[in-house]
Amino acid sequence: MSRPGFVLEVDERTPALLMHEGEGFRLEKLPLGSRVVYPPESLPGLRDLDAHIREALLHPLGCEPLPELLHAGMRLTIVFDDLSIPLPQMKTPDIRQRIIEQVLEMAAAAGVDDVELIAGNALHRRMTPAELKRTVGERVFRSFFPHHLRNHDAEDRANLTEIGTTKHGEVVEINKRAATSDLIVYVNVTLTAMSGGPKSVSVGLASYRSLKHHHNVHTLRHSRSFNDPPNSAMHHSYNRMAGVLDEHVKIFQIETSVNNDTFPTQLGFLNKREWEWTLKDQAAYLAVKRANDLTPIKQRRQIWHRTAAPYGITSVTAGAPGPVHEVTMGHVLRQQLTEVNGPSDIGIWGLPYICPYNVNSIMNPILMMSLGLGYFFNLYRGQPLVRPGGVAIYYHPVRNEFHPVHHPSYIDFYEEVLAETTDPVAIETKYEEQFATDPWYIHLYRNSYAYHGVHPLYMWYWGAHALEHLGQVIVVGGDRRTSERMGFRAASTLGDALEMAKEKVGGSPTITYQHTPPLSMADVR
Amino acid sequence: MGLFREARVLTAGRDWRGRSRTPRSAAGHTPPDEPREFPTGWARTPAARVARRGLQRGLLTPLTWSQTRPEVVGLEGLAGVTGPVVLVANHASHLDTPLILGSLPEHIAKRTAVGAAADYFFDARWRAAATALVFNAFPVERYRSRRLRSLAPQLLARGWSLLLFPEATRSEDGWMSPLRMGAAQLCVTQRVAAVPVVLRGTYAAMPRGRNWPMRGRPRVVVRYGAPLKPEQGESARLFNVRLSQTVARLWAEEDMGWYASLRAQAGGDLALPSGPKAAEWRRMWESTRPVSRPGPAPAWRDGA
Repeated sequence: MSRPGFVLEVDERTPALLMHEGEGFRLEKLPLGSRVVYPPESLPGLRDLDAHIREALLHPLGCEPLPELLHAGMRLTIVFDDLSIPLPQMKTPDIRQRIIEQVLEMAAAAGVDDVELIAGNALHRRMTPAELKRTVGERVFRSFFPHHLRNHDAEDRANLTEIGTTKHGEVVEINKRAATSDLIVYVNVTLTAMSGGPKSVSVGLASYRSLKHHHNVHTLRHSRSFNDPPNSAMHHSYNRMAGVLDEHVKIFQIETSVNNDTFPTQLGFLNKREWEWTLKDQAAYLAVKRANDLTPIKQRRQIWHRTAAPYGITSVTAGAPGPVHEVTMGHVLRQQLTEVNGPSDIGIWGLPYICPYNVNSIMNPILMMSLGLGYFFNLYRGQPLVRPGGVAIYYHPVRNEFHPVHHPSYIDFYEEVLAETTDPVAIETKYEEQFATDPWYIHLYRNSYAYHGVHPLYMWYWGAHALEHLGQVIVVGGDRRTSERMGFRAASTLGDALEMAKEKVGGSPTITYQHTPPLSMADVR
Repeated sequence: MGLFREARVLTAGRDWRGRSRTPRSAAGHTPPDEPREFPTGWARTPAARVARRGLQRGLLTPLTWSQTRPEVVGLEGLAGVTGPVVLVANHASHLDTPLILGSLPEHIAKRTAVGAAADYFFDARWRAAATALVFNAFPVERYRSRRLRSLAPQLLARGWSLLLFPEATRSEDGWMSPLRMGAAQLCVTQRVAAVPVVLRGTYAAMPRGRNWPMRGRPRVVVRYGAPLKPEQGESARLFNVRLSQTVARLWAEEDMGWYASLRAQAGGDLALPSGPKAAEWRRMWESTRPVSRPGPAPAWRDGA
């Protein structure tokens, strides 16, 4: 039986608590009285996963069983979430592989010849052949790559179709192959409450023309939070687009959720509550910490990115996107939600080495901002963990380092745009079109492995709500110049950070540390 | 941060075993203890048996006999006991086990294992090891809080007699509480005899909270009853009633003599001594009354 999440109040018995900080971690003694939000313990994974997948496909919610939707002569498109989820990557075989294999078994039995597999990567970088193979498995890869297993190309005008327009004037434009298929089977991994459901096809297969309707500063500032779909303007937009899609294409959605087994056994202490660490956990902590600190950053990063999560799958649900997503959300919240009593003056987050956009890559400063002020700040329901005008303290080295292949437009954004302004509205107004339509960025997105030119701006918008809400952002252990460029302040220690925060929140602030990963979502009452 | 500094941060607030105290607000969120079965098989190896008998004969029994004045009654009933039996005793003091082990006939004592509370004697390894070696103890779950598999049937099957205290814990006030069903159930299912044992005066000699007997070598009485075999078809519940009645009679024998106690039992006048229904101090007062009798006990007191 997994224990539910809870809020710890730091007292004199509380040992030093673990903080992630990029490709490393540390123990930090928090001031007495600080609150610490722990997620529920990892739920047990499903035992006979293949049987559960089969059961889901044969008994879907809100539509016919998959075999009844398959017939000879049809056009079938299987779309799957790209490498941005789950984080870290899961141990192979990936759940997407296991599902796609069963879908293909049924398609083969029904005599379907015209099958295409597309990664729903939207404006993300293309997945490399090795990454595709890891996700869908050797057998699928060998049968379909390269002609029928590919990445979505949001800049291939010839292969995009405008499906329609929502009543709010939002253009719904998606991948032509998918739009003209008799059936889209979407294979999803819902890691956080923001993913899956109406977002899957309307975002994963969309173009910039379509994405700009919800990936903008106004929408994101009115998504409170974007992990709480009923209160997220972004999800309202997804829902409208999904409504248009429903009228034109048939989608069979297969959603899965994972438990909180984020780190492998040898790093088991990262999954545990600190006062429950055994001697073995403590020895592992010291050994891993020391070895990690002594390893050069490049190798350290490689090791972390090679560390796959032994996730257990907590649900597999198939059928019509609406009812399926409702069930999946229940499982995600059951794993992540912890009730918290009111916001505090200061919020603390330890940022790990990975976010959705640096898998097998570098967490550059923009992505650090997107992870901290975007993803982690928005891991709430109700109200933010920090009061309006409060202070957010993050732990991250914020190195001035970029992956030149994956993030070319990020470099220019950092060097040129952030040097001038950090205001999301000003950035959107002045620079979005330039970055979105730059032919060189588009070329790199389509032919190399680069994120789309507009992507760094989206990352900045991702934190727009937090930037508006917070009075100050302090990064413990952050590079001073890089932090300053982004409008943050760098501190060497937590003590210094709390001292700096005094200007905004006074001398005896209330403090809440959201202990994540493993992922926790605060239900702030 | 250097390794030593890191280790210092890690170990701050933890004890020498690396355990941290649970923060108060996390107390309601601690996982239930995993049942950990402390292995006691080694304590029944020939080497451990030799060491144990040496410790018992050379140290424990002389020490117990030097600090108390034990009077052992009824051993003649055990002369014919050959196979394994379950010794069922009342429990009021840590003196009980050494007194029984020290007074049992050698042929039974050297083949007797003692059921000891898993949550008390087996919670720390050093205590578990010492208890297993000195008393040939094996863990017994008394509150069913965990689910350890009981070793008792296996031990009986291997020819070991068992000493069990079916009240589950030492008496709080020197009086007895009802016998739980475990020992009777064991006797009925394994078809072995129970030997009732009653200890008098041990509470007065060394009650709960004391770790050394009272001064003045207080008198204690160890009284063995004749072995009771479960009848064919007798249920554990009925056998437990019979066992309880015998224990009650042995207890009363100290006060009223053998024959009078037999008559009282036959008349249905005896029950387990649960003490007077009176204020707590009076119950305590009565139970700590020294057990003293100047002369030899008559077989019966009077014919009235």
